[in-house]
Amino acid sequence: MSQPVVEVFASGMNSALQRAPRLRAVTVPLSPLSINVERWRPTWPKPKTIGLRFPEAPEPPRPTLPPKPEPASGGDVGVGGAAVGAEDATKAAADGQSAEPPTVPLSPPVATLADLLPPREGGTLTRIKPPAEAISIEDRLFYLLQPPLETWLKGQELVMPFEPFPYQYEGIAWLFSQKAGLLADEMGLGKTMQTITAIRLLLRAGQVRRVLLVCPKPLIPNWQREFQAWADELPVVTVEGEGARRQMLWMMPGVTILLANYELLVRDMEAFGDQIPQFDLAILDEAQRIKNRDSRTSSTARAIPRKRSWALTGTPIENRPEELAALYEFMEVVPPRATPDLRQLQALSKQFILRRTKDLVMKDMPPRLDRDEHLELAPAQRLAYDAAEKEGVIQLDGMGESITIQHVFELVLRLKQITNYDPLTGESAKLERLEADMEEIAASGGKAILFSQWVSSIEWLEEKLARFKPLMYHGKVPTPKREPILKRFKEDPNANLLMMSYATGAVGLNLQFAGYVFLFDRWWNPAIEDQAINRAHRIGQKSQVIVTRFISKDTIEERINRVLDEKRALFAKVLGDSEATNLSLSMNASEIFGLFDLKARHGKGTRKISPKGPESSAA
Amino acid sequence: MATQGKPEQLRLGFLTAIEVPDKGFSGGLLVTNHYGRPLEFQCTTPVKPNSTQEILYGSSLQPFLLGELIGGTLIDKSSVKPQLILTDRIEILELRNHIDVPVVMVDGPEDRAAETSMKLGRQTIRFHSAHTTDSAAVTTDAQQIPADADLREPFLRVREALQETLKNGGLR
Repeated sequence: MSQPVVEVFASGMNSALQRAPRLRAVTVPLSPLSINVERWRPTWPKPKTIGLRFPEAPEPPRPTLPPKPEPASGGDVGVGGAAVGAEDATKAAADGQSAEPPTVPLSPPVATLADLLPPREGGTLTRIKPPAEAISIEDRLFYLLQPPLETWLKGQELVMPFEPFPYQYEGIAWLFSQKAGLLADEMGLGKTMQTITAIRLLLRAGQVRRVLLVCPKPLIPNWQREFQAWADELPVVTVEGEGARRQMLWMMPGVTILLANYELLVRDMEAFGDQIPQFDLAILDEAQRIKNRDSRTSSTARAIPRKRSWALTGTPIENRPEELAALYEFMEVVPPRATPDLRQLQALSKQFILRRTKDLVMKDMPPRLDRDEHLELAPAQRLAYDAAEKEGVIQLDGMGESITIQHVFELVLRLKQITNYDPLTGESAKLERLEADMEEIAASGGKAILFSQWVSSIEWLEEKLARFKPLMYHGKVPTPKREPILKRFKEDPNANLLMMSYATGAVGLNLQFAGYVFLFDRWWNPAIEDQAINRAHRIGQKSQVIVTRFISKDTIEERINRVLDEKRALFAKVLGDSEATNLSLSMNASEIFGLFDLKARHGKGTRKISPKGPESSAA
Repeated sequence: MATQGKPEQLRLGFLTAIEVPDKGFSGGLLVTNHYGRPLEFQCTTPVKPNSTQEILYGSSLQPFLLGELIGGTLIDKSSVKPQLILTDRIEILELRNHIDVPVVMVDGPEDRAAETSMKLGRQTIRFHSAHTTDSAAVTTDAQQIPADADLREPFLRVREALQETLKNGGLR
């Protein structure tokens, strides 16, 4: 077989490579089939977590009180407290001794609140917000994760006798989250209830275990009553009695709420030295009591070892805006002795003050009708008044440079007393008018409260108004007798008139069943007058409150009235957002001098202090 | 369950999750007493599945992620163990397959995974279809829960707390 002759292939191979290939077959055994399969399993790392454990909230313990000593003289009584006081009163009554103020509620603090409640919108819930100073995430979550107050307080874990108003829920939530706070709601809006409820919640949330509440002495029974009404599960112990017993009460373990008055706080804290008892929360009621930061009361309050500081007052500025600085110092939001300027005070107010007025929150509250009764003095009064004023001014002018504010003040007081009644003849234009009004009020079964600056005026009126069986409530009435008087005024349909001194009756009492308030004479400070009026015009009041101010025409009263009206306007301005000034809200020396047409030494010459003559249009 | 005559307080666990943009899911568990007062809170950092996981898990991804992984972690971490776990996300019902505590859906839509239901507080709760016997156990506990309790409200708190924690960088 001939091979084709190829010289050179296109691939470049030549014919020399044309030899036949030699093939050899070899048998290879088959190996078993093997497939590699990749195993893929998803891996999920455990997510990181953040946790927060809420403190346990134990049931409040009932402390075992030390045995009560034999009743001490001078009204120095033993342990009070919501539950304990009732036993004491019963025991004392059984023993034939003078009983302590009854702890049976005079009236539920807002007994008619439920009636006044507007229907709550479904789904409106009040949540607790973390305070601005809460920085750590744990702190913020603690507040955020609390249940809405409406859920918390609707009668399961914590029984509420009446449902709070929405603004009160907000106040409770605000207090709950404040380490330092000033609740400055206008009088009558329920600061007491909001405070007690916030304390309950803090106790339940395990945030506080030991609370000190300091208030003026006359308000101790009021707080006891309110604790019983709003938080009867909480043991309240009142610091009372002789020194050794009080020391024991201050130090007694297991006391949840300790109630003390300012005077005993000062006295007892000084006795403690370095061993001052500690508190988780210290509350000052009527906190304007510490407005003077150099006072012993103020420095003692600041020395209380505490974690939280609350202050309560309806009049955070009673005289000057700087008084707020003293409260801020107690609340430890300004350094010691700091003197914040107005702008700083306003900034601090936004963070640490909660203030609501009735106009803002109580749109459905019955109105308060103010009427100024400008009365002509009775003839004998007029003569006595004119003579006294003329003589007084001559005397003052005759004093030359030695004249002091005290001299002027004494004349003002003498003249004011004559405008109440002429001490010689007993003539009184105010009395005539009051009797006419009281006839009408008594006939309709109404109840009226009368305020005067002087106990002597009240005692004089008692005699003149005997047919109305007036009740008296002033500084001369012993403390144990005061509560029964209020109780009788509320419950006795024939008790139509309660006469009180500003000093004793203006603060803290709940008399919302009275529809009439008479200011027989005027106090120096409109804030105090408002406090007095708000004994009646407060939550729970069902009808309008008619406030009558007696002002004698062409007298010092008209001049004072005009100054007070200007002050009232200023008060609103300072607490509002407008530019505040540095003026005093109560009458200052210059203003008191200015009530008369006097000449006073000023600098090198004699300065005429502008006369403040009455204006016929003053109203 | 009574201890010395005093009934043991029921502990409820409110478990939910939120989606964090670009970061995945973050879960929160709020353990409360039967009145809704908080006892413990736990939350997780966001968990984000990758694309392989999304493909491979398919429709079972979210039940796994929210129920088994996030829910399981939170229950493990909590020191106050809930006796009943409530959720407002149907995917979290999956957790019931991995723990021995009833897990129920609050006011959820009808779903195959949750066929049995009962009234609890103001809401209707639904049980996992594979654990219908849970209803008997929950019926006993339910007596402690007030009839007007709003069982949806605590989920708002959990969400708010999750947002707050994310905002403050606590879950980075």
